[in-house]
Amino acid sequence: MNSNLNNDADYLWDKTGEPDPEIQQLEEILGTLRYQPRPLEIPAGLHVGRRRSFFRSHAAPLAIAATVAMLLLGLGLWLGLQRLQRSPQQIAKSPDTPQVQPVSSPDEKQNSPLAVSSPEPEQKRIDESPRRHVNPSLLARNSKRDRNTAVKDQQLTLKQQQEARAAKDQLMLALRVTSMKLNLAQRKAQSTNAPELIHNQHKIG
Amino acid sequence: MKLLSQTLLKIASVKLAALALLLVLGATATAMAQNPRIQTSQLDALAAKASETVDVNIDESLIALTTKFLSSKDEDEKKVKELVSGLKGIYVKSFEFESEGQYTDADLESIRSQLRNPAWSRIIHAKSKKDGSIEVYLMQTGGQISGLAVLATELKEITVINLVGPVNLDKLTELEGQFGIPELGLEGSKPKRKN
Repeated sequence: MNSNLNNDADYLWDKTGEPDPEIQQLEEILGTLRYQPRPLEIPAGLHVGRRRSFFRSHAAPLAIAATVAMLLLGLGLWLGLQRLQRSPQQIAKSPDTPQVQPVSSPDEKQNSPLAVSSPEPEQKRIDESPRRHVNPSLLARNSKRDRNTAVKDQQLTLKQQQEARAAKDQLMLALRVTSMKLNLAQRKAQSTNAPELIHNQHKIG
Repeated sequence: MKLLSQTLLKIASVKLAALALLLVLGATATAMAQNPRIQTSQLDALAAKASETVDVNIDESLIALTTKFLSSKDEDEKKVKELVSGLKGIYVKSFEFESEGQYTDADLESIRSQLRNPAWSRIIHAKSKKDGSIEVYLMQTGGQISGLAVLATELKEITVINLVGPVNLDKLTELEGQFGIPELGLEGSKPKRKN
């Protein structure tokens, strides 16, 4: 008995003993399911890595595209800032003659050294409001214009000349107002009798 | 090996994108901070209350056009031409009112907030109860003046002046006595003439 058990155990252990018929029958039944060594067959249509996410698989092109997009965005912001630097009035205006604000009252504007305007939103064109608003000493003196300037004038169109003259009036007006205020600032800053009026003054350079 | 190179390429691309983003943001912030153009459109509402309004907006193209009409032989116009030729914009807005109290500090806050930018340096601030106050600001970029701003307030008047571009103080002071442009007395502007 013990020897049969030992033989069966040997057979089960390393197939050296006497086989048990029942075990042999089981082996025949289950043998079909035995491991059959064969090479791995990968389907031809299967591509490893296709199941990765879109962003992972296209990280480099996406990063380059994002870089280009950000550069374009930056360029757009820069252009927008440049455009903001221009006056809204100048941007919205058609390329017609530059405009100045109309004067509130004729009496005042004749006495005023500045080209001034009324609160009404409607604006007059500079060619419609003569140069009486501006100090005549600040106006262009065509008689003193040199020959080169006259040649340039001929080359410019009439509309450009009107624009330029209107812009020149505005320029002179702006310089005049600026000089008045700088004069005022200088007088106040240099007022030795009232040094306490100067709260803050820094040197430049 | 191939996998390693692809990984390194991806990391480099992502870093490049992040760097570009930082550059764009930084450049935008710097451009906004260093912009010598002051937005004064917030003051337009005061035009309805003002009895007199001066509104001058001259951009770079108009300055270039205007300089063609400034004579090079006329001394006054020649100096004005030299002064404005480098400028990129001249903007003046002034409101004069019939009575006092037509504007408040809140109306000027938008201007003052822009001038509080560290890029602006206040060189003059004179204030008196009688004459109001006047402040002169300069913006410097790379050691060169890139903008000038003047904010003058009186009881019945507000004036905001903004010159954009390399304001040449030497040339500006040379115009002293012409068009009433004064000598600012700033260090670096005509130092030899003071003696």
